[in-house]
Amino acid sequence: MSVDAAHLSTALSAPVRHETGATKTATGAFGRRLAVLALRQGSMAVFIGVLVYFSIAAPYFFTVGNIGNVLGQSAIAGVLAIGLTIVIIAGGSNVVTGGIDLSLAANMGLSAAVYASLLQAGQGDAVAIIGALGTGLVIGAINAAAITLAGIVPLLATLAVMNVVAGLELVLTQNTVVPASSDFLSAVSASGPFGIPVLAYVLLGFAALVAALVQYTPLGLRLYAVGEFPEAARAAGLRVKLFISGAFLASGLCGGFAGILSVSYLSGSTTGAGDMLLPVVVTALLGTVFSRRLVPTIGGTLLATLFVSSLINGFQLLNISSTLVSGVQGLLILLVVSATTLLQRKGNQ
Amino acid sequence: MASNASSASSSLRGLARYALVAAFVVVFAIFSAIAPAFLSGANLLSVLVNNFALLAIVAIAMTFAVAAGGIDLSVGTAIDFASFAFVSLVLAGQPIPLAILGGLAGGTLVGVFNALLISGIGISPFLATLGTLFVGRSAQQLLTNGGNPVYLPPSGVPEAFRFLGHGTLAGIPVPLVLAFAVILGTYLILSHTRFGRVVLATGIQASVVRYSGIALSRYTALTYVLVSAIAAIVGLIVTSTVTVYIPSSGNAFLLNAIGATFIGTTLDPHGRPNIPGTVLGVLLLSIVANGLLLSGLNFYWQQVATGLLIFFVLAIGFANRKAASRA
Repeated sequence: MSVDAAHLSTALSAPVRHETGATKTATGAFGRRLAVLALRQGSMAVFIGVLVYFSIAAPYFFTVGNIGNVLGQSAIAGVLAIGLTIVIIAGGSNVVTGGIDLSLAANMGLSAAVYASLLQAGQGDAVAIIGALGTGLVIGAINAAAITLAGIVPLLATLAVMNVVAGLELVLTQNTVVPASSDFLSAVSASGPFGIPVLAYVLLGFAALVAALVQYTPLGLRLYAVGEFPEAARAAGLRVKLFISGAFLASGLCGGFAGILSVSYLSGSTTGAGDMLLPVVVTALLGTVFSRRLVPTIGGTLLATLFVSSLINGFQLLNISSTLVSGVQGLLILLVVSATTLLQRKGNQ
Repeated sequence: MASNASSASSSLRGLARYALVAAFVVVFAIFSAIAPAFLSGANLLSVLVNNFALLAIVAIAMTFAVAAGGIDLSVGTAIDFASFAFVSLVLAGQPIPLAILGGLAGGTLVGVFNALLISGIGISPFLATLGTLFVGRSAQQLLTNGGNPVYLPPSGVPEAFRFLGHGTLAGIPVPLVLAFAVILGTYLILSHTRFGRVVLATGIQASVVRYSGIALSRYTALTYVLVSAIAAIVGLIVTSTVTVYIPSSGNAFLLNAIGATFIGTTLDPHGRPNIPGTVLGVLLLSIVANGLLLSGLNFYWQQVATGLLIFFVLAIGFANRKAASRA
């Protein structure tokens, strides 16, 4: 892996350094475009390079069954990261004052607990689904109200909500595992066509649906406008607060949806959902390098999710300690944001 | 934004400032009424030593980062690295003073790494310190064979080792003395030194600092080194108290430290991070944690209640500030 990391760093930093030396003229603009190209292609090249490396080193890696596993294992984190991406698009990329939703992982935990508890109470899957999605939606609504009505910065509002939600999950489950089983849950966690888990299809379908909405509709375009240039969006007559509220509602809904997937995947609710938070944040931020203009996109986030899952999976197959995964995630995010920061700094001058 | 404030808006801001004090008084009164043990001297001292001192030091460190317009998500990493270096040196048979210095250096190393990322490369503090948090977590797992705690054998612990956590100075527990020293020291730095003024100015308008010809990146670098150095003190105290190093345990302080810092901003007329506000925020969180414990409320409901309280203090503070800036 160190080889790949080194490869990434040279791929990213070589053109950037060259660019730093360039003047702030047309050459600079050209160099910047070149560097953006290198960063984008570089990250894709690294992704593909890692896949090729794993395929050679661990022949089982590049089989339909294993790729299906990787996709299936990505489903929960992927849905959460997509929810976070929507919030980042609508809130702008400044993580402190802009869009961030720290309550997502706790939301998933509580939604899963609600689902499992409703099944335990003898309710059917339909009621449980409504309960889980409703839980997510209510959490999203509280976030939206705290941010747009009370004016709390998203980082703090969602931090406080996260604490409350995590507490409610503990109250509901008494910090135990609530087992849940039903035909619906078994169907979701089973294998689908071509021996690929149903969860994999769910992730791809969900990502395609959200991507279609966010990247290819006027609604999505406005969401980007609100996030990148709130003043311009307001001047153009967009109701900025409505869009931001909508983004948090959508993110809350994603939390509820991920909760359902997690109940199915783990056959019940489990404790410790909060541990998902930082990996999901990193994944969503990492996603920007897989986009054409280095902005958050649904497709980019999906690729980042799969990249991280492939790493974990490949490490397992190669018997490399899984403790390295968080370190690699950290190094990746640092490399990626270093490169983008150097680019942006040059661009702003 | 303060210069054109009318008298009406400043009175509204005054209201916002009372939200934290009012919450403190109300919470204090409620616990005194429902839990008789709460108001006893022994209990209040235990609140200060067990709940207040450690969180106060971390939150003060966080306040520095936020005052400079950033944030430090890796304060827990600095705590862990300090703790690890401290325990390792003691296990290696080094004298305690050297181990303490080594621990401080270990924690400060995290800040140097952050400073390189933030000042050197120019990564936003949130992302840089998030990266540090992850890299630090992995590094600790590698250092400890996958995250095993490092215990000090009970027999082999020198008495001097326990001093930071269990000792007293002039009858006052050492953690509390250290907390007060940090509070006083940082207050003086922020309000009475050039460094402090530059830090505060950076948080308000970084570009103005840069245009004034101040070497901003050097001050920013120093800020993040200082944040980690302060957090490292907590690593030493915790280790001395429990005589064990648990990998990645320092992160437990992170969210409360951020919460206390931003609750504290409601105390300032301009909503800026400030040492007295942070201290009051930490006090509020401490007495809530202790009072809920004494009130016999279900442990899990305690977390909900704490979260709700933070939420409402923030909501009132921010809503009032918003009303004030609109007026």
